[in-house]
Amino acid sequence: MKLFNLKSVLLATASMAIAVPAFAQTEVIWWDFLAGGDGVRMKALIDRFNQEHPDITITGTTSEWGVPFYTKVRTSAAVGQGPDVMTYHLSRVPLALSEGVLTPITDEDLETAGLSKDDFFDRAIEAASDDDGTLYAVPFDIHSIVLYYNKSYLEGTDYLDENGELTGLDGLENFEAALQVAQENGSQTPLSYQTGGEGGVWRVFFTLLAQQGGTLIEDGEVLPGDNLDKAVRAIEIMKSWTDNGYQPQQAEYEASVALFTSGQSAFHLNGVWEVPTMIDMENAGTLGFEWGAVQVPALLDHAATWADSHAFAIPIQGDQTMPEEKRDAVMTVIGWMSKNAISWAEAGHIPAYRPVAESEQFLEMEPNATYSSLADSAAFDPRSTIAGVASPVYEAALNLIAPAIHGFLEPQQAAEQMQSELQSLLD
Amino acid sequence: MITNRRKHIAIAMTLIAPFVFIFGLVFLYPTIRVIELSFTDAPLIGSGEWIGLDNYKKLLSDNLFYTSLKNNGYFVLLTVVPTTVIALVIALAVNRLSGRMQALMLAAFFLPYILPVSVVTQIWAWMLDFQFGILQPAIAFFVGERVPVFRHPVWVMPTVATVTIWWTNGFNVLLFIAGLRNIPTELYEAASLDGANRWQLFWKVTWPLLWPVTALVLTLQLILQLKLFDQVYLLSGGGPFNSSYVLLMMVYREAFQLNNGGYASAVALVLFVIIMVVSVLQFQLLRIGGRK
Repeated sequence: MKLFNLKSVLLATASMAIAVPAFAQTEVIWWDFLAGGDGVRMKALIDRFNQEHPDITITGTTSEWGVPFYTKVRTSAAVGQGPDVMTYHLSRVPLALSEGVLTPITDEDLETAGLSKDDFFDRAIEAASDDDGTLYAVPFDIHSIVLYYNKSYLEGTDYLDENGELTGLDGLENFEAALQVAQENGSQTPLSYQTGGEGGVWRVFFTLLAQQGGTLIEDGEVLPGDNLDKAVRAIEIMKSWTDNGYQPQQAEYEASVALFTSGQSAFHLNGVWEVPTMIDMENAGTLGFEWGAVQVPALLDHAATWADSHAFAIPIQGDQTMPEEKRDAVMTVIGWMSKNAISWAEAGHIPAYRPVAESEQFLEMEPNATYSSLADSAAFDPRSTIAGVASPVYEAALNLIAPAIHGFLEPQQAAEQMQSELQSLLD
Repeated sequence: MITNRRKHIAIAMTLIAPFVFIFGLVFLYPTIRVIELSFTDAPLIGSGEWIGLDNYKKLLSDNLFYTSLKNNGYFVLLTVVPTTVIALVIALAVNRLSGRMQALMLAAFFLPYILPVSVVTQIWAWMLDFQFGILQPAIAFFVGERVPVFRHPVWVMPTVATVTIWWTNGFNVLLFIAGLRNIPTELYEAASLDGANRWQLFWKVTWPLLWPVTALVLTLQLILQLKLFDQVYLLSGGGPFNSSYVLLMMVYREAFQLNNGGYASAVALVLFVIIMVVSVLQFQLLRIGGRK
């Protein structure tokens, strides 16, 4: 009896082992760094994809944004332990190319996904390609920082028009006057952004630099010519916001968001990815004030806003190549995500896939519509192997600009030190 | 007799073979590879071209190297002697207790040591948080204002040193307790009979007999603190403007962020040599000092 039992167990196991391939599902390992309000939207998208595709399962993991994510990607991909598909910042593509962690995305790949290069904004395709025009990532969105505002501090002032929309903030003087008004109306730190971290400091600094027509890197030179003075000016402006008590000191990312959502800050400079946070809180009735979001006003010479793009990329698999079947599944995932990017737009982003970005549904979407024009004034990170998320440039923002805006280092010194440190990495 | 001797050697060889094998595999081979790598321009993974001494030349003209070296030295000054003195004082105090009370106090001081570094840094990052930290009112009381300790060029190293001492001190206490228990009580009795007071008992009996342990603690601490990385990486990231940047941070950044495996190996090797020379030198000096 015992023997018989064992036999049947063995038989059952054997038949199961045979049966498995018949119901084979291709598993796609997915890594992303989307932990903010947009991460929730992305998880919903992944769930929907899994439901609609019985033959493909996405297994997603979210790692910490920035250095932790990209360090992990590089080391794991090099030994073949990386994901099958991952989110990647287009600002980092030059760095990725120098590291050799991405596989080229061929026209056949795009065909499998049901996409073509013409479906995307030219700027995004350019940023996702190497100098020879080989594509290494499929652009997914364009995102920038925007100015969030709390209407309760501005009611009855000239800064809200008859529709209750923000107005009259162009020019640094007007902007700072508005901060002053908000402060007098009880907002302790009227302008919150991540002043104690690399991301927030870099984005605001680069916006102010770009609004003066400045560039960080040109022809292999860091802050050439009068760009150094423009960088100093940008740092000085940020420092004056600290000195006047407009912005919080050493605010970590979460704290900077909390200062706005808890109603303490009248304005908030942050990425569009926090739009869903505001929407969710408003719907749940926990926000406690009316909010809006607009494109960052032209504080200096002309309108410009720091911007970047999320994209999908397929990393190398160590010495192996990905089996064709798996690669097709990955491209199916990427294609589906692009075509369903309208749900991603709800996370505040502007889709990079034109059929969605130009659809009526998107053009009517709020608050995206109020800042979707920023595609024209977007200032992308310099295309360089030392720039992009988790790059030496971001590191310099934390290591040099952040101390300068808190008064530990002269703005001039900070800019010069940034110039020499980054230049030595390029030479 | 000869066969016996042979057998003897054979047995000895078999007994040390596992150690030699593992030592060769996980220490000797990687060390040789690091030396080899430091003469190439290899990326993090894969091999590179032989470039001779270029990495070392680059290192000698790298400002960050000197900044890091200076910070490493500063950190050693801030930790090694203070932690030894504190551990000795605690050990002397705990040693005067007896039974359960002694075990309890010992456990209390040893507890931080068993925490992983990430937990330790989380605890202190929250306690010292600029906006919400429970210790900020205390700092404000003494200094007059809140201080973002891990973002302040003057405060950052001493604070990291304090956290490190809090974390690792328990082990040193344990070593000192063991050393104190090894001192025969008759010596104290005899000295007391001869009229020695507490002060003399410490300086004439405890201190000289405890010296080998003290020398050991100092040397272990020196090696440990030169290898500083985790706390700085997790608490300050080397900032602000490199005022807490140390050599191992440089190795990490070059290897994992900038993909320069060769250069990172050169930095690592220099650190290895520094630790070796300094610790051997220190241990010899302490031994000579102890014999006097």
